[in-house]
Parts: sequence; structure tokens; C-alpha cells
Amino acid sequence: MVLQRVFTGALLLVCIALAVMAWPYKASFSYEPVGPRAFPLLMLGLMGLSLLYQLFRPTPIVHSEEEPALDRETLIKIAACIGLLLVFAGLFEPLGFILSSILIGIPMARLYGGRWLASTVVVIIMSIALYLLFDKAMDVPLPLGVLDFVEN
Amino acid sequence: MDTLSYLAQGFGVALTPYNLIAALCGTLIGTVVGLLPGLGPINGVALLIPIAFALGLPPESALILLSAVYLGCEYGGRISSILLNIPGEASTVMTTLDGYPMARQGMAGVALSLSAWSSFIGALIATCGMVLFAPLLAKWAIAFGPAEYFVLMVFAIVCLGGMAGNRPLKTFIAALIGLFLSNIGIDANSGVYRFTGDSVHLADGIQFVVLVLGLFSVSEILLLLEKTHQGQEAVKATGRMMFNLKEAASVFMVNIRCGLLGFIMGVLPGAGATLASAVAYMTEKRMAGKSGTFGQGDMRGLAAPETAIGASACGALVPMLTLGVPGSGTTAVMIGALSLYNITPGPMLFQQQPDIVWGLIASLFIANIMLVILNIPMIRVFTRILAVPNWALVPIIAIITGIGVYAVHATTFDLFMMVGIGIFGYILRKLDFPLSPILLGFILGGLMEQNLRRALSISNGALEILWSSPITLTVWVLTAIMLLLPVLRIWRGRSAKVVDALNDV
Repeated sequence: MVLQRVFTGALLLVCIALAVMAWPYKASFSYEPVGPRAFPLLMLGLMGLSLLYQLFRPTPIVHSEEEPALDRETLIKIAACIGLLLVFAGLFEPLGFILSSILIGIPMARLYGGRWLASTVVVIIMSIALYLLFDKAMDVPLPLGVLDFVEN
Repeated sequence: MDTLSYLAQGFGVALTPYNLIAALCGTLIGTVVGLLPGLGPINGVALLIPIAFALGLPPESALILLSAVYLGCEYGGRISSILLNIPGEASTVMTTLDGYPMARQGMAGVALSLSAWSSFIGALIATCGMVLFAPLLAKWAIAFGPAEYFVLMVFAIVCLGGMAGNRPLKTFIAALIGLFLSNIGIDANSGVYRFTGDSVHLADGIQFVVLVLGLFSVSEILLLLEKTHQGQEAVKATGRMMFNLKEAASVFMVNIRCGLLGFIMGVLPGAGATLASAVAYMTEKRMAGKSGTFGQGDMRGLAAPETAIGASACGALVPMLTLGVPGSGTTAVMIGALSLYNITPGPMLFQQQPDIVWGLIASLFIANIMLVILNIPMIRVFTRILAVPNWALVPIIAIITGIGVYAVHATTFDLFMMVGIGIFGYILRKLDFPLSPILLGFILGGLMEQNLRRALSISNGALEILWSSPITLTVWVLTAIMLLLPVLRIWRGRSAKVVDALNDV
């Protein structure tokens, strides 16, 4: 409940900040009665009102039966997973698709309870297979990065 | 008669070998995607958008592929609910109630084929409904001006909250978030950069695929971390694979009733498959009364939700095609796909590009038949896929999601954005906010703003235009009813609680 209040409050602050940001939006010359800022401001206003209500009268969160409570361990795992995804995004172009997906795929498989050997084998095979499937067979261009020399 | 000749033309489009292969691939991919935990029709369709585009598929083939994936996903979801008792998505929860007990009694094959059959009949009824009503609706919708459209979209958004039941306010907030997000980027009318923070990457707004994959795939990957259980043992599908005539006949009336119900629920914006299946199950349970063994493997209990899901999946395409207003998360994604091809769904589509519309409708027939036929030889393969453990699955899902996002614009900025949106989506999910209203809002946002501005330009700024025509007035009244519905429900719930409390004393 506290978490929900904090989140609602934060969202409300973001709303206000965005509204301030939207205030100066004006068309330099305009031939229509509604300018570029009316609609966003209307949306932000409605959102602000709803959030305000939510802040004072939070709706209880209904948990499904098999959902375990968040403990420290899971939170660390989630943070690690987010970290890995960010590393993936950062290294996607410099290292290339195959290497970066192997690099993050193996620790990720470990996070979800895979064993070292099995994870390594599966991730390496899948990375190469996915590269061939998408880049070669389906014409979705993927960066090779440092593996560029293989192409030439 | 016009309709029939158009339909024949549609079959001509759908039956070309190229499009048949597209439908076959779509149903196969869809079934597998629907089987996997954490991937539903929304992710499945969204992942395929950039790929279909990169493959250079013509618009009608791409649309056929995507709708086949949609139907396949709905079908795949039922395999895991029947064999594992784990509903792949919210709409298949009702299927587990009688499907899993049937599988435990050694009727897994029968349950699967019967559910495929039910869903087929549902889809058939809905497709017939679509053939009958969609052109009429489209003809009627041509009379819609910008003001009518604006009001209609307000209605669609409010419907989501009204139908969602226990958390109307959260649904509303989610929809507003989506509506707001669609404003980011350069404003088409005035050229003003809105909320871009001077970033070049945001100039043309948040990419739809990035938003979908972030919200649904990434947040699902994070959610899967919480579930510790490993690949579950599926009930073996042995023995008789096909239902027999007697069994089919015993559920035939259920199929007809729930098919009609599902179609109507599918057409209504915001209701969708989840509500349709729940209402169908409850109604049939009540109608069967004491004679039913609902909850212990009653065939009617399996057939009812499945028929409704099949019918509503097709029914949801009606508002999307005729009005250009999506009624569910998945149809919102399909509108996103169409806009990539510069096709704006709406009443004009029926006149300008009948090939696309009728080709799609015809291919729905074909995809449904394919699903029933595929079911028999492929069931064993599908059950194998269910046994793939999460540790092998999740990295692959993550990597494919990355590919899907990168394929849109080939920038790593989008990848970072996807992770950011994913974290936001995860928090929203943990706090019990529904996610698909965000998508719907995002799709409707741009249209809504354009129509509002156009309407007010026509009236030169006078707001009366928004409620002056009979159509707008009717829709406003419906909107007001929808707004009052949750309030009424809460009030009734509260008074019921008071009565309970009094009884306790």
C-alpha cells in the first residue's frame, strides 16, 4: 500500500513536470483554433486528477494465489536481469549481435536456474542460429560488430 | 449479393499459394508463441511486425500472417491450460476449469481436439457475423465526421474502464498514460516538438513496437524471475485424439449460443476474450444446473469458454476494420502494423482496398480450418515444447525481443528505451495496473487528437460540435452509462457487504 502511494505520488509529480514542460508549446503561426498543447494538457490534467484520487483512496492490490511475496533475493535477481538487459543494449552495436547475446544470454540462463554447461551450449547455438535466421534468411539486418571480419 | 462476390474475391486473394503459406506459417508460429509462458498474442503479433516489414511482404499477406498468428496464439494458450493447468493468458483461465480435469481422466486428446473444434465453430459464427455486419457498419460509419470519431474514441476508452470490473480507476489511468505517450514527438499540425527533451531519437515519437515489446515482453521476463518452479510435467496426451460425433453433438448447442455471445462481446470495445469466456462459462454452468459436472471435466464447460474466445477474437476485428477503432490490445497492435504500411483502417478501407479486407476475412476461415487440422498431427510436438525449461527459454525470448526492437529503426537508443519501458511496465504490473489500456490509448491518442482538432477547426473553436449531432449525443449517453457502471457496481458491492455484515451479527 505504501509502495503504491509512493508510485502514485511520483507519477503525479511527473505529470506536473510534464504539464509545466507543455505550457510554452505554441504554434508559431496557426490557422486552427486548437494548438499543440491543448490535448496533452487535457490528458495530463485528467491523469493528475485520477492520480490524486488514487493517492487518497488507493485501490487494494489483488494478488493472485501463486504469486510469492517479493523478497531480497528476488529483488537482487531482478536488478541483475535489468543490468544484463542494459548491457545488451549498450554492447549490441559495438560487440555485434552474436557476441553480445552470448555474453548476456549465459548469465541470464544461470539466473533462471540453468546449469553452466547446458546454458553455455544452448545460448551459443541459439545466438548463432538466430543470427542466421534473422539476418540471412529474413533480411533483418543485425550488426556483426567485432566479428565483421568473418563476412569479408 | 455484393457481399458474396466480394467474399469470393477475398477467397481468391487468400487462396493464392503465397498467402496460404503465410497463413500456415502464421498459425504455426502463433501456436508455438501462445504455448510459451510469458508470450501471448500481443507479443507474438508485435514481434512479427518488423519482421513482416523487413521481409517485404505485401500488406495483405502481412495482415493475413498477423491475424493467423493472433488466432494461433489464442489456440496455443489452450494447450498449456489443458495439459498443464497453467493458463497462458487471462482469457484461458476458464478453459483450465474443465479442460485440465478432462486431461487427468485420460481424455487429453479429446479435450484438445474438442476445444479446437469449439473454437473453430465460434470463429466461424463470428466470421459469418463479420461478413454480414461489417459492410453495413462501414457504410454507416462513412457518415461519421471528426466529432463523431472523437466521441466514439472517448467511448472506447471509457468502455475499457467500465468493463474491466474491479479496478476502473487504474484502467483509466493506464489508458491516459497511453494517450499521453502518443503525444511525444513532433506535432504534425504545427511542427512543434513535444516532450522530446531535444533528443533526435524521440522526434518521431516512441516507436509502437518498442512500447509493446517493452511493456509486455521485458516486464514478463522480469515477472518470470519470481516464479521458481521449473518446467512442469505435462499430462501425457495418449489414447483417442479425436472427439467422436456423439461428443460433438452434445456440445453443439453450447457452441452456437457461446459463439453468438462471444461475437457480440468481441465487437464491443474493451470487453474482449477474457470477459467473453468468463460470461460464457458462467451462463452455461447456470443453464446446465444440477445435470452438469462443471469443474470436474464437463465437456460443455470446456466448449463454452473456447467457443466464446474463438468468436470474440474474430469479433474484435470488426470495430478495427470498420471504424479504425481497436477494441483490444491485440487489435491495437494490428492497427499499429497497418499504419506501418500507411493503411488507415476505417470505413473507407472497404471501398478503397477491398482486397485487403475481404482477403483477411477469407483467410480467417482458412486459418481456423488449418488450426483444427494441424492439431491432430502436431499435438505431440507441441507437448514437447511445453517441457522446455525457463532457463533456456527466457534468454532466447530476451534476445528475440531485442532483435524485434532493433529491426524497427536500427538504433540502440530504442533498446535502452525498451528496457526503461519494461521496468515501468513491471512496476505497473506489480501494482495491479492493467497494461493493454496503455496500448489502446497509445494507438487511439494520435487519432483522437487529430479528430478533436479537425472537429474544432470545422466549428471554428465552438465546442458544441462535439455533442450537436444525434450520433454524438447517443454515444455520449452510452459513455455516461459506461462511466456509471463501475460506480454502480461498487455501490452494489458495498451494500451487499453491509447485508452480509448484518447477517453475521
